[in-house]
Amino acid sequence: MIGTKRRTSSAVSARSLAYASSPLLASKTPPWRSRLLVVLVALGFLGLLGRAVYVQIVASDFYLAQGERRFVHTVDLPASRGRIIDRNGLILATSVASNTVYVNLKQYVATPSQRRELLRLLGMTPAEFNERFDSKLTEVVLKRQLPDDAWRQIRTLGVKGLRAEAGYTRSYPEGEAAAHVVGFTDVRERGQEGLELAFEKDLEGRDGQRGIVRDGVGRVIDDYIEAIDPEHGREIQLSIDTKVQFFAYQRVRDAVLEHKAKAGSAVVIDVVTGEVLALANYPSYHPAQRGSLTKEQFSEAARNRALTDVFEPGSVVKPFVAAWALETGRVKPNTVINTASFSVGGKPIRDTHPHDAMTVAEIIQRSSNIGAAKLAMQMEPRELWELYSNVGFGQRPQIEFPGAVSGRLRPYKHWKPVDQSRLAFGYGLSASLLQMARAYTVFARDGELVPITMLRQDQPAAGVRVLSPQVARDVRKMLQLVTEAGGTATRAQAMGYSVGGKTGTAYAQDGADYAGNKYRAWFVGMAPMSSPRIVMAVMIDQPSAGSHYGGDVAAPVFSSVVQQTLRLLNVPPDLEVRRQIMAQAVAQAAVAGAR
Amino acid sequence: MTRTHFVLLVALIFSCLALVQTQYESRRLFDETNRARDELARLDAEAQRLEAERQAQATHLRVEKVAREKLAMRTVTPAVTQYVVDTAASGVGK
Repeated sequence: MIGTKRRTSSAVSARSLAYASSPLLASKTPPWRSRLLVVLVALGFLGLLGRAVYVQIVASDFYLAQGERRFVHTVDLPASRGRIIDRNGLILATSVASNTVYVNLKQYVATPSQRRELLRLLGMTPAEFNERFDSKLTEVVLKRQLPDDAWRQIRTLGVKGLRAEAGYTRSYPEGEAAAHVVGFTDVRERGQEGLELAFEKDLEGRDGQRGIVRDGVGRVIDDYIEAIDPEHGREIQLSIDTKVQFFAYQRVRDAVLEHKAKAGSAVVIDVVTGEVLALANYPSYHPAQRGSLTKEQFSEAARNRALTDVFEPGSVVKPFVAAWALETGRVKPNTVINTASFSVGGKPIRDTHPHDAMTVAEIIQRSSNIGAAKLAMQMEPRELWELYSNVGFGQRPQIEFPGAVSGRLRPYKHWKPVDQSRLAFGYGLSASLLQMARAYTVFARDGELVPITMLRQDQPAAGVRVLSPQVARDVRKMLQLVTEAGGTATRAQAMGYSVGGKTGTAYAQDGADYAGNKYRAWFVGMAPMSSPRIVMAVMIDQPSAGSHYGGDVAAPVFSSVVQQTLRLLNVPPDLEVRRQIMAQAVAQAAVAGAR
Repeated sequence: MTRTHFVLLVALIFSCLALVQTQYESRRLFDETNRARDELARLDAEAQRLEAERQAQATHLRVEKVAREKLAMRTVTPAVTQYVVDTAASGVGK
């Protein structure tokens, strides 16, 4: 067998040596075979060529698209929501990067120590954590708004089944002090309340898009199409001064707590520009922690009372009546009015501190209902209605704020004489605290009503003339008397600055009726009186401890906020600091400090 | 095949290699700029967060509390303020 093989192989090698010249083979291969081979190879190449033409030219679009699908990715470029800053550039609301963490319930694996660490980083209790697993879904949200660094630490733990989606969370550094002004957004960063809602269009950005080419290992190697840049939201600069806002909030809060009141509000307006420097309400809430409040608690805390709560302005409107009587020449500041008794439509009007006769100035100083009613009854109903409308009562305030109410002022055609007399001392109409503050800019600006705004202004605002400058100045003197000895609001005095204003106290309305033992106390005033720079209104709702009069409850808030605000605005004091009233103020401060 | 042809062929080959190298380099650099851009965005976001946090740590509410309680400071009043009028500047110095 072996011998045979060896022989055969030697024979083959001998033949192959002479292959080309082998007559046996040469004669036996017909020429068509080699031609066929050539043709087949040629056809093969033609096929390839055809395919190349097809791929490169005929169906190139299809193949390009297929290639793109594999290598080109579109990524969203998230636009950030605009910031809200105060008049000095301090942040009131800004967007910070955060993560939403998801857990895949089927893939989740963690050792007990990993789990402990995970809970710590997430800031969740074991109960909360376990609750997430009671779901029929494969993947559930474990935690929203988790800061970047916490997520980075979680990733190093090596827990399986977790992933995060990057996004933004709204952050409110000023917290509860400015909560009502700024408002808040939902989890998708859309404005829900306050100025976040009012300026939604400006604040929201538009996401951009970018087409990128990735290589096999996932690196970005090229731009595919021209990127659409994200349009970031616009920054909104408010008229609010966080320091004034803080003072107002703090003093209102302290007053509410001290008098065991239900709520309180304060508004500070710059008279020159019409800017709202502060708008504070208590109770308030921390925008970032509002989830921890119950629905009732939240609706109570989130109410922007200064804008949405209307009440009968009471004595606060008396100066307007007096001003119009002066304007029309019916009286002079020292005209004596008989205020012994007065009845309209058979109903007597009463004064808290009755006097037989008072001058117009004293009527304001002592807040006489009879005096105000007598002045108002000299006027046509239309006159009084126009006066109140012109200073903004019953008109929706032109302010960039959702939910600002117009209050109520009935058309004068429906008034009866008793209605008119009651309107003179502020009953039968309703207004918000903001409206009252704005109305008083008429006195502060020598007879002009100023348009108010929540946005920072660099130019003085143009007002609408309601009263002549002389009348406004005369009324201002009367308002100053209110805060001096013999007036109803001596506690409104501020150290170093002359102040003036008007108190108001009324039964709080309980549904359609007046509640017998519930009061609302307020004070609307301005300072410094020589050339007023700010108007401030303070309201305390249902004070239950101690006095319930505006002069005792609201005026001290006015005093301390005004003093600080004027100092912050670099307004020099217009009173000698060592005057008599200063000594009183110091004594009061000392008493307050000792308490 | 003349000498010129050969030289051109070699040049062509080198040119091709250079093209490949450049393409590679361009992709690498693109990736690098891209990473840098991501880093920029991340740092921007971080800066925003820190700024917000800094301010949250220094709200007037907190500053006042610390000043009063820890440092025993009190609020300025006109009684303890010397007002100086600077005729050159409009502001009032304190």
